[in-house]
Amino acid sequence: MTEVISVKDLVMIYPDGTKAVDGVSFHVDDGEFFGFLGPNGAGKSTTIKILTTLLHKTSGEAKVAGYDVEKGAGEIRKIVGLQAQETVIDWDLTGKENLILEGNLHQMRGKGLEERVKELLKIVGLEEVADKRAAFYSGGMKKRLDLASVLVHRPKILFLDEPTTGLDPQSRAGMWDYLRQLNRDEKITIFLTTQYMEEADRLCGRLSIVDLGKIVAQGTPSELKGEIGADAINLTFENNNGKDLNGLKGEGKKILNGLQGVTEVMNTDMGLTVYAKNGAYLIPDLVRAFDGAQIRVASLNLSTPSLDDVFLKHTGKRIRVEELSKQYGGGMFARRRR
Amino acid sequence: MTLLFDTRYLFVRSLKKLFRNPILLFFSLLQPIIFLLLFTQLFSRFASIPGFGTSTCDTANPTYAFPNYVSFAIAGIVLQNAFSSAFQSGTAVVDDVKSGYLEKMLATPVSRPAILLGRLLTDSFRVVVQSSIILGLGVLAFGVFPETGILGLLLILAIIAFFGLAWAGISLALGLKTKSAESVFGIAGFLTFPLLFMSTALSPQNFLPDWMKTVSKYNPVSITVDAVRSLVAGPGCMDVWGHLLTAFGVIALIAVVTLGATLYLFRKVIG
Repeated sequence: MTEVISVKDLVMIYPDGTKAVDGVSFHVDDGEFFGFLGPNGAGKSTTIKILTTLLHKTSGEAKVAGYDVEKGAGEIRKIVGLQAQETVIDWDLTGKENLILEGNLHQMRGKGLEERVKELLKIVGLEEVADKRAAFYSGGMKKRLDLASVLVHRPKILFLDEPTTGLDPQSRAGMWDYLRQLNRDEKITIFLTTQYMEEADRLCGRLSIVDLGKIVAQGTPSELKGEIGADAINLTFENNNGKDLNGLKGEGKKILNGLQGVTEVMNTDMGLTVYAKNGAYLIPDLVRAFDGAQIRVASLNLSTPSLDDVFLKHTGKRIRVEELSKQYGGGMFARRRR
Repeated sequence: MTLLFDTRYLFVRSLKKLFRNPILLFFSLLQPIIFLLLFTQLFSRFASIPGFGTSTCDTANPTYAFPNYVSFAIAGIVLQNAFSSAFQSGTAVVDDVKSGYLEKMLATPVSRPAILLGRLLTDSFRVVVQSSIILGLGVLAFGVFPETGILGLLLILAIIAFFGLAWAGISLALGLKTKSAESVFGIAGFLTFPLLFMSTALSPQNFLPDWMKTVSKYNPVSITVDAVRSLVAGPGCMDVWGHLLTAFGVIALIAVVTLGATLYLFRKVIG
């Protein structure tokens, strides 16, 4: 397998001193579907911008398709496609005009371009509205047009910065199908960032879990989940007997560590997460023990390990999806956060 | 080659954007008409004040001079319009920065200078169209036809396009620096009126107070207006070549500074 993206000790410090990327190393092979999973501020967009030649790295090495991101920027731009986090299309142009212009900027013109645009409009289901201005498109249609626009020049490597953030579940599922198809049938290498573990789990062949500019874990989704090696029981507490949440967590932890089969106990926002080899068997013991200590449990559920558990294990917190601020905060907020 | 192609693509893009925003289009076309009607009505009595017509004439024996206020002020109005029109350049760039479209373009192999050139070309095109409306209206409604004929009209459009380009540079630089349309308009408004009123755009030089005469003499607006006006009045009345050369020299100087600043700031933005 040839490496199409190789990154070594990548560091990015913004002029204001923010260390957005803090010594990241990874590689992506030709034809892979690779993901960066992490919360806001993990350095995902910054990494993408460096790899697509939009930002200058502070230090480290980054190569795309064998070209250095600084010296080979011109070559890289010809063969990569970038879909930014916000939907970026020209609202005053029609769907078709958006795609034609994008092709033009990649030095495509004439009959070949016309046909490529026609084909793409069909694939993303925008044939019927091709000659309508993008301003009249729905959110999902705009996103699809945006994706089509970065595919016009048949990129070898596709960078997708949170491609489904802000989409309704149906559009999201549609987008997933289409991305999978691009990777499988058209052999396009995809580098995707997301804050949805489900998305990373379903799409990515391999992924890095990132937080605060660092890679905290790397592997295939099943490898990562296997690392937990246990079921997870999530508990939340009610404020009772005058004890506050922290007191309850502390007491709960003590009880749980005394139970047989418990491998690890982690704090969460509202309670605790318990890992155990065989979660189902532990539940009766657990309930009895808490009952005896007169701690009332507000909720309890058992789950097989998810990528979120992997994230929790490595960072001590859960991935919080800041959907609202993203959707309504508009471009400016997203821009500043990078 | 890529530069030329890309400039054309982006020029066509911004033209489409202009024509598809009916409100923007309406006001860019209405604005020159309003200026022409408003200012010429407001100051129409200027022409009957003693010393008006001859005062702006360079030669002792004017054959044309300015029979009415419109024939005098049309040069100033064309300039004033170019001035305010040029400031839309910066706001369009702010739009592209904020929407992320600039970044989207930068991720493609598009020729970098073409992004600026396409923009400037659109602005020059717009100001030429607007100026043609003013001059056409001057001919049709007020009977003001330049003494220098069709060639004079074309020269006027060339000067205005060049002037617009130089000032578009200021607005582009401001847009790239502040990344805020409000700032561009705020600073533009602040600059427009002093420069316009402390010039010979709307009032003959000898009507200005003494200190303003001095300002007016070095004011690029006056210098450009005088060049346009000399084409209206003709060589029998004003030194056409002298005014033209001075104007092109001064505008070129401004253009070097403003477009230089724009280029510098643009380079910083694109990294």
